[in-house]
Amino acid sequence: MNVRLAHFSLALIAVAFAAQARDIHYGAVQHPDLLDCDQLQWRGQNDEADACYRLLLGKDVPPAIHAEAAWALGDLQLANRLFRDAAALQPDDASIRVRWGDLFSETHQDGEAMTIYREALDADSGNAFALLGSARVLVGGFDDEANTYLEPLLTDASKDAGARAAAWLIVARVSLESSNMAQAANALDEAEAILESGDWPPLELYALRAAADLLNNIPESRYTAMSLEYNPGYGGIYAIPAHFYVITRRYRSAIDMYQRAVDIEPGLATAHEELGINLLRDNQMARARKHLEAAYDVDPFSPATVNTLRLLDSFTDFELINDPDIPEIGVLPVTLRLHRDEAAVIAPYAIKMTRESIAEFSRRYGFELKEPVIIEMYPDHEDFAVRTAGMPGIGILGATFGYVVAMDSPSSRPPAEFQWGTTLWHEMAHVFTLEATNHLVPRWFSEGVSVFEEWRSGPNPGVRIPMSVYNAMKEDLFLPIAELDEGFVRPTYDEQVIVSYMQAGLVCMYIDEAYGTRKLKDVLYAFKEGMLTGDAISEVLGISPSDFDDDFADFVDREHGSVLVNLEEWHRTQQSIGQRLLEEDWESIVGLAGHMIDILPQYIEPDSPYIAMAKAKEELGFHSDAIQALEQYWHNGGYDPAALTRLSGWLSDADRARDAIEVLQVVNLVDPLDQELHGNLGDLLLAEQRPDEALLEYQVALALNPHDKATAHYRIARAHNALGDREASQGQLLLALDVAPNFRPAQRLLLELMRADSGNEHN
Amino acid sequence: MVAPPALEFDLINPRITVLLTMFLPLLAAAELQVVVIEGLGGEERYAEQFAEQVVALESAASSLTTSDRIRIFRSGDFARETVVGFFAELAEALQADDRLAVFLIGHGSYDDHEYKFNIAGPDLTDGDLYDMLNEINSGQLLINTGSSSGALADRLKSDERTLILATRSGAERHATRFGHYFVAALSDGSADIDKNRLVTAEEAYEFAARQVADYYERNGQLATEHPKIEGEHAARFSLARLGAAQPVREDSQLRILIGQRDAVNAEIEDLRLRRDGMTPDAYQAELLNNMLELATLEEDIERREAELANER
Repeated sequence: MNVRLAHFSLALIAVAFAAQARDIHYGAVQHPDLLDCDQLQWRGQNDEADACYRLLLGKDVPPAIHAEAAWALGDLQLANRLFRDAAALQPDDASIRVRWGDLFSETHQDGEAMTIYREALDADSGNAFALLGSARVLVGGFDDEANTYLEPLLTDASKDAGARAAAWLIVARVSLESSNMAQAANALDEAEAILESGDWPPLELYALRAAADLLNNIPESRYTAMSLEYNPGYGGIYAIPAHFYVITRRYRSAIDMYQRAVDIEPGLATAHEELGINLLRDNQMARARKHLEAAYDVDPFSPATVNTLRLLDSFTDFELINDPDIPEIGVLPVTLRLHRDEAAVIAPYAIKMTRESIAEFSRRYGFELKEPVIIEMYPDHEDFAVRTAGMPGIGILGATFGYVVAMDSPSSRPPAEFQWGTTLWHEMAHVFTLEATNHLVPRWFSEGVSVFEEWRSGPNPGVRIPMSVYNAMKEDLFLPIAELDEGFVRPTYDEQVIVSYMQAGLVCMYIDEAYGTRKLKDVLYAFKEGMLTGDAISEVLGISPSDFDDDFADFVDREHGSVLVNLEEWHRTQQSIGQRLLEEDWESIVGLAGHMIDILPQYIEPDSPYIAMAKAKEELGFHSDAIQALEQYWHNGGYDPAALTRLSGWLSDADRARDAIEVLQVVNLVDPLDQELHGNLGDLLLAEQRPDEALLEYQVALALNPHDKATAHYRIARAHNALGDREASQGQLLLALDVAPNFRPAQRLLLELMRADSGNEHN
Repeated sequence: MVAPPALEFDLINPRITVLLTMFLPLLAAAELQVVVIEGLGGEERYAEQFAEQVVALESAASSLTTSDRIRIFRSGDFARETVVGFFAELAEALQADDRLAVFLIGHGSYDDHEYKFNIAGPDLTDGDLYDMLNEINSGQLLINTGSSSGALADRLKSDERTLILATRSGAERHATRFGHYFVAALSDGSADIDKNRLVTAEEAYEFAARQVADYYERNGQLATEHPKIEGEHAARFSLARLGAAQPVREDSQLRILIGQRDAVNAEIEDLRLRRDGMTPDAYQAELLNNMLELATLEEDIERREAELANER
């Protein structure tokens, strides 16, 4: 099964499954007979509730109530048909459409649900439960428009009490997700007051209170016992808090909680699904499949479940590569899961870089990894997305779940779009910040350290800040340090996530420069102790968060202020260069590119002025100036493979083989699937008497299945020969000559080897 | 000093044929006729590309045949009737054992009924090409590097004709990259898989097809062209010689050495045919002996050629 995007249209019409329990409706439907059944269900008296619903199906009640009973009994097809009939009979009754919309929402058909909620609001513009249903769907999609629907419920006491209570529960949940504990507590109090005045079950309230306790480091909440007393089979009391373990990246704790949820409520599909996804994050493949299949059995509508099961099926196309091959005492195992088409190409570099990152971060952060590291790389970005979030469509390049790292492979994106080596380095930094703090590190700090380490110690160092972030700096959009997590969790504008990454990186850079590397490490360990950001800053750095913000702003101004002052001029000049390039006006381009470089010398994105400068200088015949321009680009962290390959060729021609090699090694971090690159790099290395490195490059070139296999084998033979391994060299020469018997260079080397052997025997 | 004629084909075994003809040039008496037809570029960038490709093709053809056997129709300088008339003349001039390589460098179109190669004035149609080529009795290779060229596959397929087309069907209508890579193969040593310093149509096709696929895959684009090859003779149809041709020298010692070398090459071919019935070790051991013998003979031949060059 290779299809990743599950398509769910109006599937309810065609299917009938034993769906998971129907959600608490807080009075969206008021029929007394139905409420009698619901009370049994909310109390966990499931057998009695089922009997009650079955009885209700036979009673002379409105079709919408029959629909509710069918829904509760898991017959979604019948429920859908009955709601449709009911809506046709009473087209002006908004409450029927609301519940019909709820049915679509619960079966992951948000678009259809919103359409029906809108119809309900057309019939009754103030319908509280239509507002609630709409808000619930929009919150699930991280859509700020949800506030428009929530606001009347939170402010208008004349609205239905149940809907108001449920709205406050949504607010509480969102607040907890944003770590806004005070706002969450207030929302929970509001919800509780309303629930107590009515007759609605407090189960979700208890679960969110337990989640709040969890976030306040109270894992054994009293609300858990209260919930179990109210309804011993309510799995949400574990599953809802477990979600907060997930978003704070404490995956193993989440696994334990989800397991408890399905233990007491085996039909809770969402918990099985989340359990399966989080087990994958912990590399427990077999157990994950079991729970995903359990989720599918109950709720086959969930795209996350279907997508993840399909991803698991695709793992037969992947190879597991262990380093070392055979476990060695004292050597931390590293396992790669790579697609078989590119495993031989990527594995040598990935293992080397992973080892180097482990050595670097162990030393820098004083933490030794305790478990094997698993690195997965996906040639299809959407597979990576499903691996990470269960759904396609996420924009990130890599994700770390602890000791398991998943990321895009080099072939998942066009060359020059991303540096896979730098991404791996970034993710490995996460392994350390997560594990060193038992996953208590806040998102901003973990990302900040990873970005900072990319810049400082990564395989292609250099401070790379996208233009969109400079624009945000100019508009003063950086967040206070204590709120920086918000920029990742609940972004409020398009570029805020990337802006937050860069701000976090700059904060870590600032701490490192102003307070020293030791203090950066101390902040990390403060998080291990459970401190929140403000406390960690105050405790470790001895400064209040607001004063820190002021000092950081000064730092940003010192480092980038001159850029920000001239940013509009930079943009104008860049537009002029574009036109001059079309006109091939090289003299003007030299001046304009030079001006841009003066304003912002660190800018090395694909539209960097260094590339235009090099092109113009070359066209004007100033070859050494062209080399200089691309060297500056390279030294600043530039990574465009075409530009760097050109630079390497120029450096090689200028007898600067060592520099040429270094440049091509950067290209390897961007475009390792370029066959020619490995051959050329190997030739340079061999000429520089570095045959072991040359051999690696030649072997990778062969693994890319080149058209010219004879040359590939011949190159390997030369490297083996240079390493003194004549037998291996002869073997490769025979492979070359088997393809091309008249390949003279290979023939000559074969004779040379044989004569040397013969000479040795005679001696 | 006479350049050895181009490769012959249709002997006993295709692979042996290549080797034998490479080293026994006197046996090959057939002539190679090359025709290049350059279509309209439409846009300046395509016109420039096509012109560059035509120059490269002329250079490649010159390495294998004489200038009087290379005919270039440059874009805008000819009409459909000129081409049709020229092929009628070729039909008279070419012998059965001659070979004809026709390159169509340009854009094509296909309306689900008729293929057209775009030139100034009335276009060349699939019907024109069918008539022009069918009148000629010798072995043929048609290479069409343009859009919609796949539409020609069914119409022009025949036992004595090899077709290399940039697209798998007429429906692939976007401008292609295949021509660029195919022409590049004719001067690129890495396209010469067997390192005999001759690039065959098959080698150039495989090189170009791979480059096309890589291009789209690595740039994350949907491939809008899928090259195809029809016919059995591409492996025996050389299109370019890499490096200078060796002069033929009348020398008995050299002739003996070349004869010995060709015999060893034949033994290697025989060994390859027996490979499936051998153990890997036995195959490797025999291959090593043969390769050492071959390498030694090559060395002797080079030495003798150097001696002869010094004598002159």
